[in-house]
Amino acid sequence: MAAVFLIESSATAAETTPRVTFEADIQPLLTRFGCNAGACHGKSRGQNGFALSLLGFDSDFDHAALVREARGRRIQTESPANSLLLRKATGQMPHGGGKKLDPNGPYYPLIAEWIAAGAPRTPADAPRIVKVLAEPPTRTLKPGESVKLKVVAVYSSGERRDVTDGSAFQSNDNTVASVAGEGVVKAGALPGEAAIMARYMNHIAVTAITIPLSGSPSGDAYAVLESGHPIDGHVRDKLKVLGITPSGLASDTTWLRRAHLRLIGRLPSPEEVLAFLADKSPDRRGKVVDKLLERPEYADFWANKWADLLRPNPYRAGIKATRSLDSWLRQAFRSNMPYDRFATELVTAQGTSWHNGAVVIFRDRPEPVEIASMVSQIFLGVRLDCAKCHNHPFEVWSQDDFYGFAAFFSRIGRKGQGLSPPISGGEESIFTLDTGTLKHGRTGEPVETKLLAGASVAVPSGEDPRVALAGWMTDPANPWFPKVMANRVWRELMGQGIVEPVDDIRATNPATNGALLDFLAGQFRKGGYDIKKLIRLVATSRTFALSSVPNERNAGDLRNFSRYYRERLRAETLLDAVNDILGVEETFSAMPPGSRAVELWTFRASSLFLDTFGRPDPNQDPPCERTSDSTTPQVLHLMNSPAVNGKFSQEKARPAALAASGETNEAIVDKAYLLAYGRNPSGKEKAEALKVFSVSGKTRKAAVEDLFWALLNTPEFVFVD
Amino acid sequence: MAIFRNCEGFTRRESLSLGLGALLGGGLTGALRARQPSSPPTSCILFWLDGGPSHFETFDPKPDAPAEIRGEYKAIPTKVPGMFFSENMKRLAAISDKLTIVRSVRHDQNNHGAGNHYMMTGAPTRIPVSCGAFVSFHPSMGSVVSHERGAGGGLPSYFSIPSMTRSGGPNFLGSRHAPFVVPDDPNRAIFSVRDVTIPSEVTDGRAIDRRDLRARLDQFVRFQDRAAGDPVRGLDENYNQAVSIMKSAVAQQAFEVHREPDRVREAFGRTGLGQRALLARRLVEAGVPFITINDGGWDHHSDIFPKFKTQGQALESVVATLIEDLDQRGMLDTTLVMVMGEFGRTPKISTLPGSKTPGRDHWSSAMSVLVAGCGSPRGQVVGATDRSGYAAMEKIYGPENLVSSVYLKLGIDPGKILYGANGRPAHLVSDPRPIAELM
Repeated sequence: MAAVFLIESSATAAETTPRVTFEADIQPLLTRFGCNAGACHGKSRGQNGFALSLLGFDSDFDHAALVREARGRRIQTESPANSLLLRKATGQMPHGGGKKLDPNGPYYPLIAEWIAAGAPRTPADAPRIVKVLAEPPTRTLKPGESVKLKVVAVYSSGERRDVTDGSAFQSNDNTVASVAGEGVVKAGALPGEAAIMARYMNHIAVTAITIPLSGSPSGDAYAVLESGHPIDGHVRDKLKVLGITPSGLASDTTWLRRAHLRLIGRLPSPEEVLAFLADKSPDRRGKVVDKLLERPEYADFWANKWADLLRPNPYRAGIKATRSLDSWLRQAFRSNMPYDRFATELVTAQGTSWHNGAVVIFRDRPEPVEIASMVSQIFLGVRLDCAKCHNHPFEVWSQDDFYGFAAFFSRIGRKGQGLSPPISGGEESIFTLDTGTLKHGRTGEPVETKLLAGASVAVPSGEDPRVALAGWMTDPANPWFPKVMANRVWRELMGQGIVEPVDDIRATNPATNGALLDFLAGQFRKGGYDIKKLIRLVATSRTFALSSVPNERNAGDLRNFSRYYRERLRAETLLDAVNDILGVEETFSAMPPGSRAVELWTFRASSLFLDTFGRPDPNQDPPCERTSDSTTPQVLHLMNSPAVNGKFSQEKARPAALAASGETNEAIVDKAYLLAYGRNPSGKEKAEALKVFSVSGKTRKAAVEDLFWALLNTPEFVFVD
Repeated sequence: MAIFRNCEGFTRRESLSLGLGALLGGGLTGALRARQPSSPPTSCILFWLDGGPSHFETFDPKPDAPAEIRGEYKAIPTKVPGMFFSENMKRLAAISDKLTIVRSVRHDQNNHGAGNHYMMTGAPTRIPVSCGAFVSFHPSMGSVVSHERGAGGGLPSYFSIPSMTRSGGPNFLGSRHAPFVVPDDPNRAIFSVRDVTIPSEVTDGRAIDRRDLRARLDQFVRFQDRAAGDPVRGLDENYNQAVSIMKSAVAQQAFEVHREPDRVREAFGRTGLGQRALLARRLVEAGVPFITINDGGWDHHSDIFPKFKTQGQALESVVATLIEDLDQRGMLDTTLVMVMGEFGRTPKISTLPGSKTPGRDHWSSAMSVLVAGCGSPRGQVVGATDRSGYAAMEKIYGPENLVSSVYLKLGIDPGKILYGANGRPAHLVSDPRPIAELM
């Protein structure tokens, strides 16, 4: 309605244009009332013979559907009240979606007037919407307080209209702040944050609502983050807004264990712990970080994380191809390949699947639409897969964007043996064809290569469109590329992403600390996309060094990094740690003796331990994703599995060796604590532990075994703290 | 045959005599129920068909619709006059007088992540999610049942076999209400639920010593404030559950599918799915109130017709056997059997870009849910879709109503309010009205 008044106030528009027109006034209502939602008429084949474009992305289509289809019964100009559109929506005729429109409300006469005027389109030369703003963009509320949002559409003419009435609203956390149809946001009873999404036509705007903790923190509550390190500054600023205070610093040994586990996936050795405790230099933490980044374990640990993202199912892509990609990834991290080059080499890969592992991603995803979804999600944090069949329901991406993006992969040539599951043993060459086109999934027309949120790109015959794509992805102006990786690295170090899920970056899934993420992305880009530099930046912050123990003003904070978040060790890290502590080796199929779990290149190397602790297995149906939850079978496995148990009692294992050595019982207890927890035992712990040596009938060997068993089954071992 | 071992509480002799005396015959009911007189009266076995099974090729055929909707299969009459199934559901058609088909559950979440969540928890996702998502904003049915009901005999109250479903987790209810997952294939000759007994080379006494030492050395600080979401407290819950399973004779024996007579094992089918259904029945006998059988591969965007001949028939045979078996044992009145997925499939058959064979796509406006037992009417259809299967038209219900019905049948008030970690209230189900026709 407000939009209508504004049009009236503009004299020129009022003279030449009917008062109510389709794109400007009617189509937004179809979204507002959910008519064009995915489960109703917005489904690609519509509902009960009446199809609209999903959330109104195709005005021509929607207008035709209303005006021309169904023998014109949906719209009856002579008698608007008899139009199916009004009779069904008001429930006067049976309507699967129920009663959507109140005949006495403000919208009924608006639609009736539009019908009576002959269902006019908004003129093509009428101003287009450039963007939509939600006002205020941020707002702090007290518990229970309300605010009415205003949604403003900005037109190409520079005109701004209040379109609040035609907008649809959604909160990402209704318990923190709920939103009613008219854009009235109401804060819940408890502190927290919520993002309120307003959608008008194909445009989305977000208002960030903050409900800070009541009461005021003491003056020096933030002193721990006054370090001068820019990360700490960004975290502190956010915490101040929320009234949350940071925890204190973790102990030296907790920090050292954390740094080892997070940077290289390996526990510190007793010698490393003691050396660190003895080092009194002011930059000893920085020195540890630098040293860890040069360790060979670094490459395996981080390559293993990337294998989670890229590793194909060997039953589909072939075992040799799987191996080949794995080697490529490890080599990339061994050489600290800059991330822009890393992405470019993958996206533009050519060669054979046995010699250049990077091409395996194309073997695994032979269709342009498949590889396009993966590349956009992994490298850009943009989930395009929805847009394969229809426009993205809560983002700006359209089907045209999707196919335009997928067209960059339309000139991939293949020679040799393609996929032939379940063996897929052959070698395949991936190269670039001179030409090639992709057909649009809906129209069947050839698609032009088109950058996301950008222009079409004409790629001359003989050139590889993937090169243009990689150039755009890694261009300093690309906002997504550095952000996704910065967020990923942050999550791997901190146990929680600034955006979660880490590869779903969009206005409607806002970062908990946008300034921090922008800073990290900027530093990453300016630092030449050096991954180690980025890790060092995070690992040397006070934020990384905070204790996990909550205080009275941050217990509820699970997203703003006011304390460190505990996490169970990854499957591979945990298995390697068990073996390191007990001084035993694992035997994996297809691996040389003495290999570590983190070096495994395929889930086909069977390991009940790794499966139990949640390593991903794409060959399961439904596929098994990596999880860090703890489960009862995991506890049972550590306690009871014959394989794990056997490690404690092996003659060559550490417990037997310690028992047979001349070490005192006290020294053995110290050693066990240093190995398992990376710290010395307290006096009380030591006294308790020593009791195991005086149980009657228990051999010294059995006592040491039991000591190790007990420590390895406690959460202090299983978690990074 | 391995004699199971236990550590505390039960003596080996007791368990052994229980096993030989009462259990070798196959049925556990008497022996196990006798051990826990307060055992809860009702249970649920849910076949979760991940991907979203077609309603056309199962329980809502449209023989009069045009070929591009009807598909390749005929509708066949069932034992109940006027009730028709798709022709691959032959065995279920023959026992249709024991079950109810709900044809009018619908929702508005057309992607796997959100659809899974809605059907499995009765709550829509709080934020939009997409197809690949494994999300949890609300406790799953199984976790709620575990929380509200518990199981006796040291058994977990919620099993998910062979894996957890996408949104099958406990959310704020905590780790001890997460499903106990049995990944091993009960059809294998050497099947046992792994790691639930102490290893043979460790004596009972030593195992107790070890756990005692562990308890004394475990000084890791726990965050008492629930809002802090301390994962270590979750691990503690897992640990306590693990120990109680190890001590429980009931639990150990329920796992021993091989104690069933061969003819029973054959009837269920010597497949992973068949034996999982049999294991589920044994768990129900042992007092477990909620078991999900997570069966993947129902996202038939392509190849839909051949798949219903193989996968579809294999499934219906197992479900039919289970229902008959429960009925014969007098357990169907206290055991709810459900078959469903996250949504139905599109009426129009399509071949998506990249596919070579036809299929049907995601469709949440209509689906069919099979319900049997636990007081559900025998031989009835609830609701209807329009003549082309586009939309539920009669007696339209949402996932909320379906989930509420499950809770009521399991003795749980769906209108209950639970409190999350930070004290936020959460309605168990936002619309606690059940599907009246099922009650």
